[in-house]
Amino acid sequence: MRFPSRLLAAQIYFAGILWAAFYAVTTLITICIAIFGTLDRSVWEGATQVPRWFALFVGVALVREFLPLYIAHGQTRRQFGAQAAVTVALYAPVLSALLVVGYLLETLLYSVAGWTQELARPHLFASPTQVPLVFTEYLVEFLVWIVAGTFMGAAFYRWQGGGLLSIPFGIGLVVLGEAAIGADLRLPFISMPLGVVSTPTVLTALATGLGCFLLGLAMTWPIIRDVPLRNRLT
Amino acid sequence: MNIEVSGLRVNYGDVRAIDDMTFSLDGGKIYGLLGRNGSGKTTLMSVLAGFRRESGGTVRVGGHPVFENAAITREICLIRDAGETIDIDKVEDALYFAEWLRPHWDAAYAGELLDRFGLRRNMKVKEMSKGQRSALGVVVGLAGRSQLTMFDESYLGMDAPSRYAFYDALLADFMEHPRTIILSTHLIEEYSSLFEEVVIIDRGRLVLHEESQTLLSRGTSVTGPAGQVEAFTAGLTVLGAKRLGPTASAMVYGDLDEAQRRKAREAGLELGPIAMQDLFVHLTEGSGDAAPAVPAADASANPFGDAR
Repeated sequence: MRFPSRLLAAQIYFAGILWAAFYAVTTLITICIAIFGTLDRSVWEGATQVPRWFALFVGVALVREFLPLYIAHGQTRRQFGAQAAVTVALYAPVLSALLVVGYLLETLLYSVAGWTQELARPHLFASPTQVPLVFTEYLVEFLVWIVAGTFMGAAFYRWQGGGLLSIPFGIGLVVLGEAAIGADLRLPFISMPLGVVSTPTVLTALATGLGCFLLGLAMTWPIIRDVPLRNRLT
Repeated sequence: MNIEVSGLRVNYGDVRAIDDMTFSLDGGKIYGLLGRNGSGKTTLMSVLAGFRRESGGTVRVGGHPVFENAAITREICLIRDAGETIDIDKVEDALYFAEWLRPHWDAAYAGELLDRFGLRRNMKVKEMSKGQRSALGVVVGLAGRSQLTMFDESYLGMDAPSRYAFYDALLADFMEHPRTIILSTHLIEEYSSLFEEVVIIDRGRLVLHEESQTLLSRGTSVTGPAGQVEAFTAGLTVLGAKRLGPTASAMVYGDLDEAQRRKAREAGLELGPIAMQDLFVHLTEGSGDAAPAVPAADASANPFGDAR
């Protein structure tokens, strides 16, 4: 199989630009809180709620934008499926690494300014400087959210309104992944602690993340394996 | 690449878009695919390109099945109005992926075509006009140099100079890099000179597949004194007729043998070719469409009004 270099490069390039803008805005907010209020916790931790939605969007876009592009350029659905899977598997670590860098830059900023960088939510890591643990947590999260987006994007592409039926299954994937890292589930109108795994371990988290990733791919493939390209996107 | 379609059926739920279609096309020619709105042109080309699976029958390109056959689909390009190959941020992004995914991509030629159509690499595709998007589709389709290249109404929104630039580029590139090209269009008169063969479909069924010249020879315009025209065309299939004072002109469908032609000349009638579009309209109209041989003198306020 051909390595999806350009698909991956395009995604990473876009993510890099967005990350730079996102980090700048978050830092600005941090400074504003420090000047006009009380800064006693990590702002970057709160900000990391947003990238998971971006990851979901990337999953949707993979099917909505790139599946038709691939087919129209003479690739098969099987070739696309394989390249998309490899892309997700390599893209999630990149997103996770960007969040790790964000935490480290924030640690540097807080230490220089003498601010307290406490975490407000339960994590696999106790401190933002525990790089392997921070990386693992967000890796699992991104793998799950991207593949959930891919699954739901495929369902909407194929069945349009009928894709609504895929949402509970997509949320199920996300809940499973979030439970593996002991994180809170924060969806619109829903915020609840997920104590399914009382003391999450790196191994549990990675195994669950990988399992969710493979499950998501297995759920997506039957939808796209013979999907017709729509004449017009609405 | 040659194309063999046998007993093809394509269903959209309860609707049958293609119904038992059978034909074969030789490789290395430019074909016109003509049909009215909803006749099944886009569906047919979508199946030929592997965009969708056939519901029944067989489709073979280059002797092989198409759907999910990477060895064949890599040699096929279909440019549709849906814009699958171009709907991606900027022009340069569309070319970036085309270059990567198309085995015979000619980047220099793509650049040349961009200049010809006045497109810039940093243009955002979603902000481009309809004509510019169509032109970008043409660039991707031509520079891909696929063995089977299909354009589905790729002129939409393009102004006349851009359309002529497209025809010129298509013909020049075809001469230099012969391949099988299928053009679906409603602008029949503009395109007809490009077609070597014509395939006409209607309501999902094949109406006709023959060489353009053969098709054109089936239609004849008969011009002369109204009475003579009426007498000559009696019993023939008349597609349409016009009248100006004592002179009338009728379009006749069907081969005229030498005896008929001689008879026309002896009657002082002038015989000439008719437009492919008029033949198309006749072939895809419902039954009972034949016009009266010669309209009454006061049938229309316009002295040369179309009586059809």
